[in-house]
Amino acid sequence: MDALTAEGLTRRFGEKTALSRLSLALEQGSVFGFLGPNGAGKTTTVKLFTGLLTPTEGSCSVLGLDPRREAEKVHAQCGVLTESARMYPHLSGLENLAFFGALCGLSRAGARERGEELLKRLGLAEAGKLPAGKYSTGMAQRLSLARALLGRPRVLFLDEPTSGLDPESAQAVNAMIGEQAGQEGVTVFLCTHQLRYAQDLCGSYGVIDHGELLALGGLEDLAARAGCRTYAAFRLAEGETLPGFERDGAWLRRAISSEDEMPGLLREAVAAGRCVYEARIEPPTLEDVYFRFVGRGEGGETV
Amino acid sequence: MKAVRLSAKERAIVRKDLRGIWKTRMVRLTVILVPVLLCFAMPAFYLFLAWMVPETELEGTRELAAMLPAAAEGLSERQLMVVMISRLLGPMFFLMIPLMVSTASAACSFVGERENGTMETLLLAPVSLRQIFRAKVTACLLLSLITELVSLLAFSAVMAAASLLFEVPYYLDWSWAVLILLLSPGVTLFGVTFMVLISGRSKSSMEAMQTSGYLVLPVVLLFVGQLSGAFTLGPGLLLVLSLAVAAADAVLASLASRAFTPEKLLRA
Repeated sequence: MDALTAEGLTRRFGEKTALSRLSLALEQGSVFGFLGPNGAGKTTTVKLFTGLLTPTEGSCSVLGLDPRREAEKVHAQCGVLTESARMYPHLSGLENLAFFGALCGLSRAGARERGEELLKRLGLAEAGKLPAGKYSTGMAQRLSLARALLGRPRVLFLDEPTSGLDPESAQAVNAMIGEQAGQEGVTVFLCTHQLRYAQDLCGSYGVIDHGELLALGGLEDLAARAGCRTYAAFRLAEGETLPGFERDGAWLRRAISSEDEMPGLLREAVAAGRCVYEARIEPPTLEDVYFRFVGRGEGGETV
Repeated sequence: MKAVRLSAKERAIVRKDLRGIWKTRMVRLTVILVPVLLCFAMPAFYLFLAWMVPETELEGTRELAAMLPAAAEGLSERQLMVVMISRLLGPMFFLMIPLMVSTASAACSFVGERENGTMETLLLAPVSLRQIFRAKVTACLLLSLITELVSLLAFSAVMAAASLLFEVPYYLDWSWAVLILLLSPGVTLFGVTFMVLISGRSKSSMEAMQTSGYLVLPVVLLFVGQLSGAFTLGPGLLLVLSLAVAAADAVLASLASRAFTPEKLLRA
């Protein structure tokens, strides 16, 4: 059974189409990066998957459950972190977790124990007794992540988990997400602007803009479809060149169709008497792929 | 009894809501000040005046009290002042208090939670909408009923003193029984469900509370209307009113539970 499915999922707000005919299926245990600019439809998608919004057309499921009709069961299996879901400001961090732990069906002692464990792992052990209203943005986000993880979810929805965070908080949040993503059977649906982080963490991606899914697949597949190439790059002694290579700052670059071409190119450069200081293969990054798709989307072309 | 027993999750929400409502200064002031002023300070001050002011200066009281059909003949001006408190002011206050406390607490519980961004978090928890609705309504009702009980004790103490000082019968009668046991709880539920219905349209809890202020007006008119002599709020009429409010409660509760959806709750 797939962890998440969407079939022609559409949501309109009056005249505005926030999400248009989204179709996807994610296997259990997959780590999916959902990428797109602000207002692309990422949050709407998360809200549809978690039952906070009703689809205008189409349907979606989480672990085979309908989020609208079986919201309670879906929420028992999911951890959701969104920017707009806040914690109770008058309760301390630990009291917040104890409360949501009770809603997850944990005993009072169990909720407190689990809350303390998560606070410790997210670097909030000392702040656990402070009212959540006094937390900084980073601390509040870490507390929200702790809340999302309380019930040991099988599916984790993370909507911009590190948006606006200081480096320390972002690191703590990313480390915890990485830990969750590494667990067997845990599916992660990550909406983020942090493309480098997403590239390290995710196995597949969706690129969305103006409510339209522009591309779906693994990085290699997306790169091939976007026409992003792999490059061989050399840094030679000043003034030296190589035939077929283009200069890009201190580097000389040339597109290759396979990594297997690299040893031959390196041998040729050395044989030609070039002083090779550095040589590297530059595969397409998620950033290259993302901007290629979003750029095309903005130009009206769908890939 | 099984239908009204709350689950552990619902009880957790009730506890959290009561704490949250109490932490809100505006509601705390309403819950403490309104009953103290209306059910203790004002009647006590009124009776103190009746005790201190010479009877010859209380002639206006007779004219006013004469309009109350229940005004007993042969009572002194001072005794008539006690009757006015027990027949006119007291009952009016005992409808205003549950209405004000229930709407203030419901504004905090429903609209305030959306304002704080915590309604979304609550809706993402593994609890059904029905459970959240029941728990929140229970918290508001509970706070309102506790306030009413404390108010009743304070008012009873003042009226006991009045009964002794002015030699009038104790205030509790069948009208009060219907008022306290039926009409007042009915009005409490009306306040909560009304607030749930308007919560989706209110931008802030303060705006919701201001809107609910219109509900107090009919209560005041109802009691002041007695002075016209057109009707008397005896046990019979109060019972009819209780039934009408109960019917309105049933309709509002049904509408409010239907309006209790994530999209409507998170709107605005």
